[in-house]
Amino acid sequence: MDCGKVVKILQDEIDGRLPPSEAAEVRKHLESCGSCAAEAASFRRVGELVRMWSASRAGEKSLQMDALWTRVQAGIEEKRSRKDAAAWARKWLWLPAAAALAVLILLFYPSGVNRAPFHPSSFDVAVEELDSDTATVALVDRGEDLPRVIWIMENDKT
Amino acid sequence: MNEKEITGPPDEELIRAALGGEEGAFRELMERYKSRAFAVAMGITGDADEALDVVQDAFVKAYYNLKEFRFGANFYTWFYRLLVNQAIDRWRKASRSRTVRLDESWLSGEVTLPESVAHPKTPEELAQNRQLSEALTRAIAGLPEYHRAVILLREVEGLAYEEIAEVLHCSVGTVMSRLHYARAKLREALKEFQEG
Repeated sequence: MDCGKVVKILQDEIDGRLPPSEAAEVRKHLESCGSCAAEAASFRRVGELVRMWSASRAGEKSLQMDALWTRVQAGIEEKRSRKDAAAWARKWLWLPAAAALAVLILLFYPSGVNRAPFHPSSFDVAVEELDSDTATVALVDRGEDLPRVIWIMENDKT
Repeated sequence: MNEKEITGPPDEELIRAALGGEEGAFRELMERYKSRAFAVAMGITGDADEALDVVQDAFVKAYYNLKEFRFGANFYTWFYRLLVNQAIDRWRKASRSRTVRLDESWLSGEVTLPESVAHPKTPEELAQNRQLSEALTRAIAGLPEYHRAVILLREVEGLAYEEIAEVLHCSVGTVMSRLHYARAKLREALKEFQEG
């Protein structure tokens, strides 16, 4: 196995990912090649340094880590309270909404009943005079499928 | 991760008990993984206080999402996914105002370090330890966040490429290329400390 091939698969060997026969070939090459052996050592050293750095920094919060369960429990309780509050809101939110709707209806109902009256001019209207001094009758035809409406209007003169 | 390191009931047994309402079982799971979780969160966020918050949030999230855990899968890959995502999110939010902290605990002697690092005999060794720690903090912080996660999960946690791929939701090829890139970058940044 030459240096080029070894350098290419060196990290796989370090991570134990090579088949045993290939790993043995790499190790054999490293025994006889100082340059590749130095390359392998430098990668291994990086791993060692990262592990040492991590272990050292993990010690920074050892006291707080001993009490981690208290923090986690507090977090669990806090989230539970939020969830309960959200569930309660989902369950009862309709009540203020319904109350608000009721208030709105009460507030605006009078204006609703004072709307301009329906006027037959928007339909096909046939007006027939009756022999009457007191009223005019309009025949409202809203189409074949709809019932006809007889509209009786009092005359002004009455 | 080496399963043989774990003593006590298997993870799945604890998960079933926790799902049945036993908070103590969840606590045992947390105790089992908290140190490793902190090491990963620390490496990604680069800040011990933020790492502590990340670990807390990840365990709270795990508690409420435990019902989504698929039995037969590894708890730690499932949990590390929550943790790494939390850590990367937090790091992104904080990255604009980040400052590199000086790591004094490197000198604490509580961790197993090479003789010259654990017990510096001369002012030069002491200064070099500090420089090494700072250089590592800077070098790791200088990696893109997912590369940082890959090298920590591999070198600190000892996860297999396939497990890292599962945690980070990417292919094994992506894990490999990120790991090779991260190692090369760190080697370059730590050239002066390479003699070991």
